[in-house]
Amino acid sequence: MGIKAEHVPHATTTNEMKNLFSRKVAIDASMCLYQFLIAVRQQDGAQLSSSDGETTSHLMGMFYRTLRMVDNHVKPVYVFDGKPPVLKGGELEKRLARREEAEKQIEALKETGTVEEISKFERRTVRVTREQNEEAKKLLKLMGIPYVEAPCEAEAQCAELAKAGKVYAAASEDMDTLCYRTPFLLRHLTFSEQRKEPILEVNTETVLKGLDFTLEQFVDLCIMLGCDYCESIRGVGPVTAFKLIQEHKSIEKVIEWIESQEDCKYKVPEDWPYKEARELFLNPDVTPGSEVELKWTSPDEEGLIKYMVNEKGFSEERVKAGIERLKKGLKTGKQGRLDGFFSVAPKTKEQLEKAKKRAAEEAKKAKGAKKPRRR
Amino acid sequence: MFEAKFEQAALFKKIIDAIKDTTSLCNFNCTEHGITVQAVDDSRVLLISLLIGSDCFQSYRCDKSITLGMDMSNLSKVLKTGNANDSLTLMAEDSPDSLLIVFEESEKSKISEYTLKLMDIESDYFNIDDIEQDSLITLPASEFQKTVKDLSQISDSLAILVTKDTIKFHVKGEMGDGDVILKPAVDLENTDNSVKIELNKAVNLNFGIKYILDIIKGSSLAPAITIKLTDQNPALFEFKLSSGYLRFYLAPKFEEDEE
Repeated sequence: MGIKAEHVPHATTTNEMKNLFSRKVAIDASMCLYQFLIAVRQQDGAQLSSSDGETTSHLMGMFYRTLRMVDNHVKPVYVFDGKPPVLKGGELEKRLARREEAEKQIEALKETGTVEEISKFERRTVRVTREQNEEAKKLLKLMGIPYVEAPCEAEAQCAELAKAGKVYAAASEDMDTLCYRTPFLLRHLTFSEQRKEPILEVNTETVLKGLDFTLEQFVDLCIMLGCDYCESIRGVGPVTAFKLIQEHKSIEKVIEWIESQEDCKYKVPEDWPYKEARELFLNPDVTPGSEVELKWTSPDEEGLIKYMVNEKGFSEERVKAGIERLKKGLKTGKQGRLDGFFSVAPKTKEQLEKAKKRAAEEAKKAKGAKKPRRR
Repeated sequence: MFEAKFEQAALFKKIIDAIKDTTSLCNFNCTEHGITVQAVDDSRVLLISLLIGSDCFQSYRCDKSITLGMDMSNLSKVLKTGNANDSLTLMAEDSPDSLLIVFEESEKSKISEYTLKLMDIESDYFNIDDIEQDSLITLPASEFQKTVKDLSQISDSLAILVTKDTIKFHVKGEMGDGDVILKPAVDLENTDNSVKIELNKAVNLNFGIKYILDIIKGSSLAPAITIKLTDQNPALFEFKLSSGYLRFYLAPKFEEDEE
């Protein structure tokens, strides 16, 4: 999605994980399991597996990335996807087709391809199986980390927990999460420490204010930029989409305008279910935050060793060290923050102007560096 | 035109040493009354509020209010080059992009000049409302510094308990516990050595000791430290300057709440 810093200065801040201490965070579990299956690999690119050949990359990722958060006194709660909305069928079919295509490629490359080539396509065939989801839940339970099963989309449930004040923020890589009006969105929270990627914190209200959009307009913009639920208008890129919504205020009016033009270069898809897609963002199927109870408990030491070491073949020493980290992270008291006591003075107009100008300049510089202009 | 001359560089050196580990980038606001700074650490637990009143300077002139945004490690590098008893002059234009820093050695008639590039720093400004105080304690800064350093060996949390006739610093760690207890005492010969308690209500507050270790870096600025404590609220630690102050506001730690 094409939300750019130049449109909304102040909306994103970068932060180190240690500064998030004592914050509770709802994490889109399905997305991070997928990440782990892709990224947690051996040196030759193969997934980690137990002695009987079962993949364990997802457990490895879940265990260690969660420990990293616990070390920093961040309290995670994982949210698992429920049934996908009917509208997502198209997107899911497309993903299936992509996987099948990749599998064919692997077959074709088996004879001639290099290891790297095969591994590249192999990553495209990755999907999180039902068993892997269940294994992750079992692991979390043993670790004493709470999880929530969403009735439908995990991101929507994460946002609901944040809105209800059960957690501070929703953590996902998908910017669509903003459409559910989570107060804060954290990106890169579940990345590996080696990547040294700072955590991005996006403030939804500041984004809306910065764009001067209502939530409905913002959702319409996201649909036009391409979401999981329906196609977008062909030929309309991020810049045009933004301009069209800014000018016409809704997809209905944009369509009216396109149809009123003679010979318009944009084509609205036939039977376009954008209204249904919009509804999925504005009124998602979620369990109300008030009905969810989150509890972080001490780890089940015996259970963890039995499951991780005996069944899944992890090193006993490391799992034991992990248990100690879980116990330690749980113990420390809650450090207060000054923003709970003192209010932040609103930015003056001059400050906002200045920030906008600077952001635009930086964006220009970054662009210039990437693509030297040729004439 | 902004021109501020310290008779001795020592004061400014000490101030910067006291705050540079809390905040890496910092805006110095210069007005006709002096220089003010408000800065907060990245985790928003500790806030610095500094006023160097114009009377701290041998001469002070500021025609138009300006903001000097500086990288503290760079400023600190430059300040390290000067001797404590050199005079130190800060100079900038009305809309500056750099700050001129001049050291003058009184005896050898040697002058060193540095220009430091300024930067635009975005920062939030906190409105600090007056907090009603439960208790106010004053003690020698060196005493407080030693106590905190000693107790920091044992735990990463420090409890400060004040009753009408004792101040107790308490830590509880894996290896054991530690307590340092001070009683009010008036030293008539040197009033700065006195320990004073003003009490409205007894308090018991917990703080992250790593933040207090940053606060005590201001100990060389004043003979005494004043600590204002209020239940469930940020504490105020203050070092007074001859004109102005260096204040630290520190958010307390809470026992884990089971909601």
